[in-house]
Amino acid sequence: MPQLLGVFTEPAHVAAAVHRLRGRGFTDLETFSPAPFAEIDDAMLPKPSGVRGWTLVGGLTGVVTGYALTLWMANNWQIMLGGKPFSSIPPYTIIAFELTILFGGLMTFFGLLVVGRLPSFRSHKGYSARFSAEDFGLVVRCRERDVAEIDGLLREHHATEVSLVEA
Amino acid sequence: MTPPPAEPVAALIRPPPVARDSQVNRDLLRVMDGVSVGYFGVLALALGFMFAAGGVWIYQVYKGLGIAGYAHPIFWGSYIVTFVFWVGIAHAGTLISAILYLFRAKWRNAINRSAEAMTVFAVLTAAQFLGIHVGRIWKSYFILPYPNQRALWVNFKSPLLWDTFAITTYATISIVFFYVGLIPDLAIARDRSTGWRRALYTVLSLGWEGTSRQWKSHNRTVLHLSGLATPLVLSVHSVVSWDFAMSIVPTWHATIFAPYFVAGAIFSGFAMVLTMMIPVRRIYGLEHIITDYHFENMSRFLLLTSLIVGYAYCAEYFIAWYSGVEAEQTSFWSRAFGPYWISTWVMISCNAIFPQILWFKKARTHVPTLFVLSVLINIGMWFERYVIIIGGLSREYDPAVWGTYTPQWTELIIVAGSFGFFCQFFLMFLKVFPVVAIAEVKEIEIHARAHGEGH
Amino acid sequence: MSEIDRREFLKIVGVGAGAAAAAGCYRYSELPEKLIPYVIQDEEIIPGLPVIYASTCQECSAGCGVHVRTRESRPIKLEGNPQHPINRGSLCARGQAGIGRTYHPDRYVGPLQRGSDGAFAKTTWDDAQHTVAARIAAAQGKVAVLGAPTGPALSRLIDAWLAAVGGGSRVVYEPFAREALREATSAVFGVASEPIFDLEGCDLVIDFGADSVGGSGRSPVEHARQLMAARDVAKEEGRASRLVYVGPRLDETASVADEWLPAKPGSEGVLALAVARVAFETRSKGAPGSEASLQGVLAGFSPESAAERTGVSADAIRRLGRAVAAAKKAVALPPGVALTSRRAVATNAAVLVLDVVAGAVGTSLHIPPATETRVASFRDAVKLIDAMKSGDVKVLLVHGGANPVHTLPPDSGFTAALEKVGTVVSFASLPDETSERAHFVLPDHTPLESWGDAAPRPGVRSLVQPTIRPLFDTQALGDSLLGIARAMGDGVAGSLPAGSFRGVVESAWSGTSLRAALERGGEFGEGSYASPSLSASLARIEWREPQLEGEGEFVLLPVPSPLLGDGSGAHLPWLQETPDPITKITWQSWAEISERAAASLGVRPGDVLKVETPFGSLEVPVWPRGGIRDDVIAVAIGQGHTVGRYAAVQTPDGSSAPRGVNVISVLPSLTDEAGGRAWLAAKARVRAAGRFERLPFTQETDDKRGRMLGEAISLVALAEGGPSPWAPNQAAAVVDHGTPITGAAAAATPLGEVAPGEHAGEGDKHHEPEILRAYDAVADSLPTDPFRWGMTIDVDRCTGCSACVVACSIENNVPIVGETQVKRARIMSWLRIERYVGTGEPTLQPARPGPQNHEELGKTDVRNSPMLCQHCGAAPCEPVCPVLATYHSPSGLNGMIYNRCIGTRYCSNNCPYKVRRFNWYDYQIETWPQPQPLMLNPDVTVRAQGVMEKCTFCIQRIQAGRLLAKTEGNATPADGAVKTACQQTCPTGAIHFGNLKDEKSEVREAAAQGAGRAYHALHDLNTRPAITYLARVRREGEDHSA
Repeated sequence: MPQLLGVFTEPAHVAAAVHRLRGRGFTDLETFSPAPFAEIDDAMLPKPSGVRGWTLVGGLTGVVTGYALTLWMANNWQIMLGGKPFSSIPPYTIIAFELTILFGGLMTFFGLLVVGRLPSFRSHKGYSARFSAEDFGLVVRCRERDVAEIDGLLREHHATEVSLVEA
Repeated sequence: MTPPPAEPVAALIRPPPVARDSQVNRDLLRVMDGVSVGYFGVLALALGFMFAAGGVWIYQVYKGLGIAGYAHPIFWGSYIVTFVFWVGIAHAGTLISAILYLFRAKWRNAINRSAEAMTVFAVLTAAQFLGIHVGRIWKSYFILPYPNQRALWVNFKSPLLWDTFAITTYATISIVFFYVGLIPDLAIARDRSTGWRRALYTVLSLGWEGTSRQWKSHNRTVLHLSGLATPLVLSVHSVVSWDFAMSIVPTWHATIFAPYFVAGAIFSGFAMVLTMMIPVRRIYGLEHIITDYHFENMSRFLLLTSLIVGYAYCAEYFIAWYSGVEAEQTSFWSRAFGPYWISTWVMISCNAIFPQILWFKKARTHVPTLFVLSVLINIGMWFERYVIIIGGLSREYDPAVWGTYTPQWTELIIVAGSFGFFCQFFLMFLKVFPVVAIAEVKEIEIHARAHGEGH
Repeated sequence: MSEIDRREFLKIVGVGAGAAAAAGCYRYSELPEKLIPYVIQDEEIIPGLPVIYASTCQECSAGCGVHVRTRESRPIKLEGNPQHPINRGSLCARGQAGIGRTYHPDRYVGPLQRGSDGAFAKTTWDDAQHTVAARIAAAQGKVAVLGAPTGPALSRLIDAWLAAVGGGSRVVYEPFAREALREATSAVFGVASEPIFDLEGCDLVIDFGADSVGGSGRSPVEHARQLMAARDVAKEEGRASRLVYVGPRLDETASVADEWLPAKPGSEGVLALAVARVAFETRSKGAPGSEASLQGVLAGFSPESAAERTGVSADAIRRLGRAVAAAKKAVALPPGVALTSRRAVATNAAVLVLDVVAGAVGTSLHIPPATETRVASFRDAVKLIDAMKSGDVKVLLVHGGANPVHTLPPDSGFTAALEKVGTVVSFASLPDETSERAHFVLPDHTPLESWGDAAPRPGVRSLVQPTIRPLFDTQALGDSLLGIARAMGDGVAGSLPAGSFRGVVESAWSGTSLRAALERGGEFGEGSYASPSLSASLARIEWREPQLEGEGEFVLLPVPSPLLGDGSGAHLPWLQETPDPITKITWQSWAEISERAAASLGVRPGDVLKVETPFGSLEVPVWPRGGIRDDVIAVAIGQGHTVGRYAAVQTPDGSSAPRGVNVISVLPSLTDEAGGRAWLAAKARVRAAGRFERLPFTQETDDKRGRMLGEAISLVALAEGGPSPWAPNQAAAVVDHGTPITGAAAAATPLGEVAPGEHAGEGDKHHEPEILRAYDAVADSLPTDPFRWGMTIDVDRCTGCSACVVACSIENNVPIVGETQVKRARIMSWLRIERYVGTGEPTLQPARPGPQNHEELGKTDVRNSPMLCQHCGAAPCEPVCPVLATYHSPSGLNGMIYNRCIGTRYCSNNCPYKVRRFNWYDYQIETWPQPQPLMLNPDVTVRAQGVMEKCTFCIQRIQAGRLLAKTEGNATPADGAVKTACQQTCPTGAIHFGNLKDEKSEVREAAAQGAGRAYHALHDLNTRPAITYLARVRREGEDHSA
């Protein structure tokens, strides 16, 4: 299937184009942008990102591990220390807290990899260095007969150029 | 409505136009290419210090800690001082990246990358000193709760163990944070480099192409990491302060320590960022990216934290007097007028008095002044830890064994070496990674341009 | 030089057992060179269990009995012989350190002969003995024997030997010989012998500068024990007892005295007579029929005139006189070495007169029947020197560790005279200044390797027996003499006993069961004493103060070092590194002058003074004190050696420089009226030399700043009864004894918020910590455990003699770190004695830190507070260790696990008592030169580099005690069966140790008896220490600032 690449200079235009294309039923889209722009991302993926879930799970694992580790180890072999109780929660809370952050942070990172489908070393046909400069790209995959229409749509939305990256 | 006459698809195919690169990319990537003689000179100096320190350290492991200046009852010396100092330095980065991110303080973009880098390097430097300080480094793995036949675990009540957990967590999270922020810029670098650099950046950028899916999850990740790092950054130096506050040593056992240390950490962190960034900006001509506006904002932070630290100094003395505990009073008196009075007054003037000039906009915007001041603050903050640790230990409950401590050359070489260790990391960073978060700068620029075009 | 390789060592272990039994009669070189494997079990030796031999301490002339504790037939520790009448189980610091002589790395490993090149060369015993024999034969009676006092058996042998080899002179040389006292006794009582003083139950002791409980005293262990027993505040009479000290300097005895009269040095006699006169007039009591002669003597000494001459107020003299009259049992002790002036006989006689007036004769002063004086007078030494100069001595034999080159004044010309002697034979076992000048060195065994005996006083005979096979190719002095005699042919040897010196000793003890005597340590019977009346010669004594040579403004007071004695102790590192009980200075010499004098000279502590007398000059760092007369400069005798690994300073280039100064080098060789040696003989001109030397002191200030350390309570307050003002233990009763250790939740809240005394009674969880503020035996150990080990230390009994410090170091293999490390505050001692003066003022510190001294002339409020690990119930050190290297044992001990320690040193930072020590270097290697490792206690780990260490309450002894109890079928060791090293050796019984869970234990008893003055160090930190201190008791005695 052919893919058309429209090149834009304004994030707003990209977003508009995306909305329009979706409206016309063209859903197989991909965008390239040199910087994060919420309007584009939201137009592309209305649903919230799945990273949050990962963070939550990580954090919970951390806090549970923290308390479990400390309490179990302190009571596995009870050693008297300065007349303090074996299970002293306040100091163990610090360990639990640190582990919460640690696990949460790491899981968040893994979340980024999974949700963001990274690493992906098969470079997209439409991608080129200009999109890590200041241009925005919008790639539409469509049937032969829609090419002309999409070309028109893209130009209508101030695409500076439209090209066919795959016949 | 009839569709337009079908043209042959081939007719539409045009050669793709040359990518026009952006000014920002060129400016910021230029920092990385080409190394001057000066650069090599500084790097050599840093490495020199680092290896000298390494040599001394090996000798110390062989011979024993006796080669340092420790004298009963002062069993913590300049190693712990320097450890706390570097942990403090490590605070600016995460603070700028995380907290200012949550506060949507956009001006952070110009400096957060370098600040984060410093955080990572500073934590690594600090971690060294935990090992340098202990008497039997070859047994220091005992401090980890690893399973063993004796079923002998570690003491989670010990502040030192909290420290271990806090520092490792902080190091890990800082590195993650640093790297996540780096990915898009690595992609930029990848697209504009050749040879080994291209290979390196291709791997490190994980094939980033700036697709909406990538950006969306990236944003989320940064947000969540900021959310996690904010309490972390506040906790780490609190925990470090508890190494002291949890003990019964007069002048250490104080509830003010956590906020006092955190403020001090941010204070010294920002100072260090200034110390490093002012020359960098000058040398690589980044004035239009890192503007005086950024420096002024940072000096505002300096002023604020300096006031907090200054307040803490006064509070300590007030409480010592108010508590009526003779040991506390004696110890604080000897801190100010005893054997360590010089260090104390260096600390007070550098941290609480000199920064007051930042009340004046002239000072805040006059870069050389800021540079000198930031260096002074760094010195002052090292002495703050020196005064707290040495001063406290030298005047404890048993007057018969009050002692005095003088650092030996061996320690000073190792301390100097830690600066070399830190600097060589930073110098390499300058040449390998974009020194400013390009994507974020770009974000702002594009917005500005869009509005400039009157949408 | 004296390296011992492993095989050698094993040989010793193997053969040792046999050696211990059969030692003394053979030679190292004649030993079978084969190992006796341990599979052939020696029935005397069970590996792991100590074998104990009774012997006699040879460090000074007091003649204390020791128990030599051997492990696998290696002596590892000396302890007092509980049966011995003199020391009753205790030892002083010097006695404790004595074991080090045997394992000294500098020892002569075999006979040496000076070659033609002037250097020593190894030789064999036969060659050496034959050559020496030939020289002696050639000398035709021009032979002299110079040596320290020896046991009677050896002494008789030497005399017999001298006679046999054709005559010659013998000088029994003792630097601290008390000829004056003997002379005075014969002058006052007509009996030429040294009286024995018994302080048992005395209610008034006046010490005229004898420093009788100090290390330099006549019999310090005995006198300290008797004195402190007499002053026991638990008893009515004890509270009534007083100690008055007369002397220019606040020394050990003055520090524990109730009253200190800093009289002009040399005027003690006048003071004594004045006091005697007041007492005499108050109540005419004295030796029967002596009134007339006494009146004659005392007539000229009115309190006023005496006040004039002594600088002590007339009131004080009167009061003291009346006190003497009123006392039930009073005794006055004649001056020690420091105050032995050119009028020493008069001074001593005066004090004896006071004793007569006080009625001490026969009760607390005993006069042994006149014996042939074993110790020669200084005049004889001078005669010998003249003989040497004039070449009348061809062969000089020096034995018994006598070191005249170091201990005789230069102007006696001994060193020069020594050059004139053709053959000098030294029997020293350790190199010293004299032996290094000898032509032959025939090394003697050390006391632990030899046979011998001692007769310290009538009725007491004590044995010396070998406890280890000689480490090196040495030979007992007796055997060497016999060998030489035999080498001279049967003509000579015939008149001497056949066989070995061991046989000589045995024959000397014939008629007694030697076996039993060996087990007991000797024969301890009651001595018979003369009960003399005043002699007419009393009238002939001329009562005048001494003239001092030179016209300096300071009186030069040469004080015997309490630790180094006459200097022989300087070779023992433990004595060098143990801080001086008064100044806490180690390894060095210092000059004590008053703070006023220091101010006028413009010197601060450590500034070097130039001290000039007409007889020489020396430079020594100054240590200003409040507790010394303005016109006195005191320098300790004992340092200034130029030979010896520890006694001298070893410079990197291998040569050795003098350590400290030898004050004898500026003293004249003058004598008293009767030819005894005069020490207090010179005045000194003193000025600042303009240099500074950092002195290796271990305590910078004696100001306790009002903190709860080294407390004191007035007798009045104590007599009123009631609970201790420091409120320790109060709430212990409140605590539910079922409380498990965990019940003490957060009881360790640092800086306890609750004011002392306020012990909330309500038992709700919230207040539990406050209840547990007070120390509680149960809560601080596992409820299931039978023990909570604890200690009670009576500050009132501590004289600061530091015997415990040395005992601890040797028992626990505490390394010696040396002067430079001590200067860097890295001394490793687990137990230190803190010396505080007064309650202290929380004065604010000056910017310029430095030693501070708060003594005052005439004031004696000194508190010697032994500081060791308190084994706290809520130990601050425990929770902060990340790796659990220090923890609380089930028996309540604060354990330290060396091989778990990673050396974060947090525990020490958090220890308020600062009793933890850190191994900065690998002391295993650095501080145990061969053969010293042989004396390491095998029950105690030698700590590695980089780990923390501290007092363990002698855990190895506790363990041994528990195991022994088990083998005997008891659940727990009997109370008192387990003794810590410090407790065991304490002469005054100031330390009690035991199980706090046992209500009736000695340690609880002691604490209960002293309840009125009990306190816990730094109690308000709420660490709940296991050590209860009993405050010093300040008995009323007015101040006499002269």
